[in-house]
Amino acid sequence: MSLVMSGTSARKKTAPRKSRKKRSTFDTTLGRAVLQLLAVAVFFALWEAGVHAGFISAFLMGSPSGIFATFYKLILSGELLSDSWYTLFEAILGFIIGTIFGSLFGLALWYSVFVAKLVEPFIVAINSVPKIALAPIVVLWFGTGLISKVALAVSLTALVALIAAYQAAKDADVDLQSLMISMGADKHQVFWKAVVPSTLPSIIATFRINIGFGLVGAVVGEFISSQRGLGHMIFLASSLYDLNSVWVGLFTLMILGFVLYYVIDIIERTSLPWKQATTSHQVQV
Amino acid sequence: MPPKQVQLTVQNISKSFAGKGGDVNVLDDLSFTINERDFVSIIGPSGCGKTTIFNIIAGLLEPDGGTITYRGKEIESLRGRVGYMMQKDLLFPWRTVMGNVLLGLETRGVDQKEAEEKAREYLKQFGLAGFENAYPKTLSGGMRQRVALIRTLIMDPDILLLDEPFSALDYQTRLYLEGVLKDAVQKFNKTVILVTHDIDEAVALSKRVVVLSGRPARVKVVHEIDIEATSPITARNDVKFSTYFKTLCAELDIQTETTS
Repeated sequence: MSLVMSGTSARKKTAPRKSRKKRSTFDTTLGRAVLQLLAVAVFFALWEAGVHAGFISAFLMGSPSGIFATFYKLILSGELLSDSWYTLFEAILGFIIGTIFGSLFGLALWYSVFVAKLVEPFIVAINSVPKIALAPIVVLWFGTGLISKVALAVSLTALVALIAAYQAAKDADVDLQSLMISMGADKHQVFWKAVVPSTLPSIIATFRINIGFGLVGAVVGEFISSQRGLGHMIFLASSLYDLNSVWVGLFTLMILGFVLYYVIDIIERTSLPWKQATTSHQVQV
Repeated sequence: MPPKQVQLTVQNISKSFAGKGGDVNVLDDLSFTINERDFVSIIGPSGCGKTTIFNIIAGLLEPDGGTITYRGKEIESLRGRVGYMMQKDLLFPWRTVMGNVLLGLETRGVDQKEAEEKAREYLKQFGLAGFENAYPKTLSGGMRQRVALIRTLIMDPDILLLDEPFSALDYQTRLYLEGVLKDAVQKFNKTVILVTHDIDEAVALSKRVVVLSGRPARVKVVHEIDIEATSPITARNDVKFSTYFKTLCAELDIQTETTS
């Protein structure tokens, strides 16, 4: 009985392996990229066809041909590039400042359980405010220039970093800290040698979320009031019903976010070589 | 044999922890002495507070009462002067083998070059030369525990506190590391207190075995182990080994004969 059953289960196990082998021509980096590009091409082709057939309103939706024409025009005039740089600069600056200050403050809370407990409800309260709602005040305080956008990006990123760093510091292995204390280490040494390094993976993990928040802060700040940037460009174009320009702005933002994501990915992989040793070990198993 | 000199005296130590149903008395009036260059194993039922004793000696916990006397002087704890090894190797995963070995010397503020030189010497002695830049994750359990042992010894501690350091390892690795430990202790003239639940290990390594009673822990009996052996493996072949083993089993209320 059991023999028969194990026989069937073995056959069942081999069956999907065979079918996977069949598909493996596309299951490579190049194969997947071809499929992905194909999907994008089909999407744009259907859109364009819909506009030509009159199913889709070019006035409200724009059209791929119009988008490409606008894209080409804005590239040539240099507007797109300068707007992109401006927004990117705001986002990255906000991300860096917010992450550094947030992480440092979160780590510092490790030093005093008393202070940490004291400020915890305030942190939760501030965090529960949708930071975007601060945008109008931030513009009032910091003007319509670069600083207000950076400030908004900082307000979005700092709390994420703070909470992650504080939580990671709280979760740092107590046994490692005990070991250091038994060796005669003081609190600063325990902090710098045991706590801070063990929080780095968590802090670096927030980069991924925070780089996105940096872009959100920059774009929303530009929506409220600005003379430059992709947010400004999208806002202006949409008020003029220039849908093609709106799409160019949106797709550019998408590309920026995409590139930043992979930059963070590289930073994550190269900054923690000891984690790398872990993963490769696990993959082999 | 020279007369035995007392190195560490633990006297009337008591410690209780706040538990769900009131305070739990873990240690109550516990006293024992450790001689110079002693090798003492502490065995007892699980959960009897063996680790708590270590934490008090190492200065990680404060006792509720009692005194610790070290070479005639009453002290709070031996913080900074003990080498503490636990069941978990507690290697810092972000530090290389070299970095881990250097941890204690760094906290002490020893010159970097001097410390590294010393570390290389130790690593070579323990057969870990060439692994200086490896991360702990890439090492086997036995190698990791050897790194932990080097990290402990390089600090030149007055007393080694070993809290079941080999219990997570397989038997072969454990036998091997017991030998490494015994050699190192002899070479560096160290005093060792070993907490273990392994009677076999306690008899094979120690000069004395302290048997604790269940919670609250008190010293039930102290056995002198009179086995002259060059290694823990030959100790296991000594004629007296099985007698000690059976006696200690009896002390811990483990039945060695099947009774019908």
